[in-house]
Amino acid sequence: MPRLQGMSELKTERQRILNYQQQFATTVLICGGTGCQATRSPAVIEALKKQLQSQGLAEQVLVRTTGCHGFCEQGPIMVLEPEGLLYCRLSPEDCRDIVAQTIKKGVILERLLYTDPVSGQKIQKEAEIPFYRAQDRTLLSFNRLVDPRSIEDYIAMGGYTALSQILSGMAPQKVLDEVVASGLRGRGGGGFPTGRKWLECREAPGEEKYVVCNADEGDPGAYMDRCVLEGNPHRVLEGMIIGAWAVGAGRGYIYVRKEYPLAVQHAKLAVQQAREYGFLGDNLLGSSFTFDVEVARGGGAFVCGESTALMASLEGKVGEPRPKDIHTAKQGLWNKPTVLNNVETWANIPSIISNGSSWFSSKGTPGSKGTKILALTGQVKNTGLVEVAMGTSLRKVIFDIGGGSNNGKPIKAVQTGGPSGGCLPVELFDLPVDFEALSAAGSMVGSGGMVVMDAGTCMVDVAKYFLNFLQDESCGKCVPCRIGVDRLLEIVTDISEGKGRPEQLDLLKDLAETVAETSLCGLGKTAPNPVLSTLRYFQEEYTAHILEKRCPAGVCKALIHYAIDPGQCNGCGDCQRACPHGAIRGRKEEVRLINQAKCQKCGICRDECTLNVITAG
Amino acid sequence: MVNYVTLSIDGSTVKAPKGSSVLDAAIEYGICIPHLCHMPLLEDIGACRVCIVEQVRNGQSKITTSCTLGVQEGLVIRANSEKVHRLRRNIAELLVAQAPNSRAIQDLAVRCGVKEVRYPFRNEDCVLCGRCVRYCREMANANSLGFVGRGRDRHVDYPLGLRDLCKHCGLCTLNCPMSITPCDGPMKKGEEHLCGHCESQLAITVGMEDSCVWCELGKGFNCSRHLGQ
Amino acid sequence: MHEVSLSAILEERRSQPQQLVEVLQDVQEQLGYISGEAMKVVAQELGVPLIEVYRVANFYKAFSLKPRGKNVFTVCTGTACHVRGAGLLLDQVQGQLKVNPGDTTADGLFTLERVNCLGACALGPIVVENQDYHHHMTAGTLRKRIKAIRRRQPKEDEDA
Repeated sequence: MPRLQGMSELKTERQRILNYQQQFATTVLICGGTGCQATRSPAVIEALKKQLQSQGLAEQVLVRTTGCHGFCEQGPIMVLEPEGLLYCRLSPEDCRDIVAQTIKKGVILERLLYTDPVSGQKIQKEAEIPFYRAQDRTLLSFNRLVDPRSIEDYIAMGGYTALSQILSGMAPQKVLDEVVASGLRGRGGGGFPTGRKWLECREAPGEEKYVVCNADEGDPGAYMDRCVLEGNPHRVLEGMIIGAWAVGAGRGYIYVRKEYPLAVQHAKLAVQQAREYGFLGDNLLGSSFTFDVEVARGGGAFVCGESTALMASLEGKVGEPRPKDIHTAKQGLWNKPTVLNNVETWANIPSIISNGSSWFSSKGTPGSKGTKILALTGQVKNTGLVEVAMGTSLRKVIFDIGGGSNNGKPIKAVQTGGPSGGCLPVELFDLPVDFEALSAAGSMVGSGGMVVMDAGTCMVDVAKYFLNFLQDESCGKCVPCRIGVDRLLEIVTDISEGKGRPEQLDLLKDLAETVAETSLCGLGKTAPNPVLSTLRYFQEEYTAHILEKRCPAGVCKALIHYAIDPGQCNGCGDCQRACPHGAIRGRKEEVRLINQAKCQKCGICRDECTLNVITAG
Repeated sequence: MVNYVTLSIDGSTVKAPKGSSVLDAAIEYGICIPHLCHMPLLEDIGACRVCIVEQVRNGQSKITTSCTLGVQEGLVIRANSEKVHRLRRNIAELLVAQAPNSRAIQDLAVRCGVKEVRYPFRNEDCVLCGRCVRYCREMANANSLGFVGRGRDRHVDYPLGLRDLCKHCGLCTLNCPMSITPCDGPMKKGEEHLCGHCESQLAITVGMEDSCVWCELGKGFNCSRHLGQ
Repeated sequence: MHEVSLSAILEERRSQPQQLVEVLQDVQEQLGYISGEAMKVVAQELGVPLIEVYRVANFYKAFSLKPRGKNVFTVCTGTACHVRGAGLLLDQVQGQLKVNPGDTTADGLFTLERVNCLGACALGPIVVENQDYHHHMTAGTLRKRIKAIRRRQPKEDEDA
């Protein structure tokens, strides 16, 4: 493939690909993202191709393996175009009928349709599914159009057009102006105005500059970056190339979390393909601009999502953050001016150029523009990746899109922003997804993780979980984080075990403030947020643990005990056989009894009991 | 020719050479900012967080370590405000609860105003100040010691346990804050407490906490003013 | 063979200290773990002090300083998986195998790992068995899987 030399050659190539794609009467899109791989979509794809072959339709049907659609719980997912028909939860055996009935004869297979958990109805078209319809899938919708391993798909959907526009005569200053005017703010958690960061880098002295894509996505429960990078790597790449042009960078890095092997693979392939086509390397698209990108893997350290730690890792060192009195835009990688942005931030850039900054800033609130991808998980009916305009209320996300509680228990809280964020109670669900609004309430938008919690979630346990996580991931360099977070955990653990004292709540607040103010990096500075927000909104749960030695949600092991209801037990013995600790007594056909001294509160007996007569309280 | 900049620390006008840190400048002028991991001639890493100060700009204040903050023209610093004292005291409290069996840490705690320890005592033999690691790397050029492991597991160690790179210069133990036990002797497990004897020495300085009075406490934790830069 | 592999990994990376993390990633992937010997060679070839190689090998969770077992079970303990009971899963397998995360059973059959998020959150709790992702895992199912692997082993053990 000879390198493309400019805008018109790109246009010609695009038309060529579109002509090819338009020959097919039907296009079948099957999700091949990590989530669907877990539900065995590769086997479905194989089976489909085999069926098309054996039923003589291989020439008329285009099968495209796409990136993640963000609706993983329904996977494997298949969409048939041009009808927009959606089939879900597929198995390889379904493919015979799909080809013979749906593709050949247009007969819809009811059993494969999506059932809306709220209304109970079956829905045919993807566009009508409430989960999708209530969103603004500006970025995510692209994932349906491309096979992430195909640069041709990306070009066909208009990819690299923004870049070619810029290289044909849009000065770097103009690009900077557009990004500043758009109001785009960092999507990784910091929310720093992107345009301002780029300007700082451009104005910093020095010839050697870098752009970096932070794909470390350490927040547990957040996977939007995986979805975007894995599903549409060229989009991220295009954003980076535009950024490099704007700030004057000659080299770029994509730092991908090692725990996302597919994203690493797709990013590397995209870089290779981009080089072949002339979008990377010397004289991009026939211009005088030279820029190249390397893909690096994370080593399994949450702290490496912090910009200075990430850069240390790229430099071949341990991922220890360093003080940021001077921004990394001035002194970053190898002390050179570096723009580090999150995957989603980069992915927003091409559209800002193509559609203009006012298109972007027309959505959202005065302080938070554009759309944001959120990872909605936890106790809701529809879990998955959700993209909404900034300013959308939490209530809309959790109830209209998420469908509300998945188990009948009332929803109690939502945890936003990962380990750096906080828990917000249901009374505050009218708050908008907005940087300032959520921070003022004691949480943050963060990377976009949103875990919904119900009455069965203990907020003291949540605080303990996050403190444990942060203590595990702390680099250990500075005292407030290494020792302070450890002491916070010590106190919260005591409380969860019924050993807490009332004065410890004041100590928690004092220590939390110290850790927040004096830690060296963002990890330590935001570590107290989960504790502080749960103390603020759920103090009664802490008090119950301390004064009554009781866990209202029935989670904290030391404070609950498992019991078999003797009036309901039928003596089947399933629980006894399943118990790994020999803690259940009783003979054949007799009511069983749990020996509290041996019971390890693992919950296996409760899961095994078909009559649900075992309770934890 | 050395370039100087003018800055303000606790209301006093201070002139310092470009390239030096706010902590360097304060020590030079006799303004007391307790510190632990800072050592003359070693690279400052901002690990202990004891030397924190408030940087005031546009009506807002930011907490940062004075050892890593380079002097700049017009910088406004509050090194001994009530907020700084409180945060510094809390950090010293964490340190003494972690490693009470060290005269240096006990002295530092008293100097920073710790009156009670609200955590159960532990008895660690290292506070990870990094003096030994940096002496080994920067002065001895031996690279025989390093911080190994993450978070709670972070500790000082030889590479693969091998001691053959050690040059036996003794710089690591010379300035280790754990090398001298409290004046009353080593504390056994279960008997750890906040020492506080040096209250008597601190009494001389009451009302002059912001100024360096060459206190005995400073000698205890190898305050760099005593080491003479 | 060990030396030949290391040589291939260090190809075109000699005297480039910034390649340390990537080199160790390749060593981990291809040789299964990072031995002391490997560290010394890498230190020499990249021009990095041995203590730095040792620090990097110890800092990142991706690196194992001991050989891993035949079957690596990785339990995801990310927030979404935790809320769905991953903690119980971990307790269960720790109790069954009698090892802590990061360690390998004495018979070399199993290594237990913990990971803080794989990005498949909607399908949690997730347990990865070698390269295979298992979703909606329960303590009981996990217990049975491990038992099944153990049961298949005696034959091989007898021959050994």
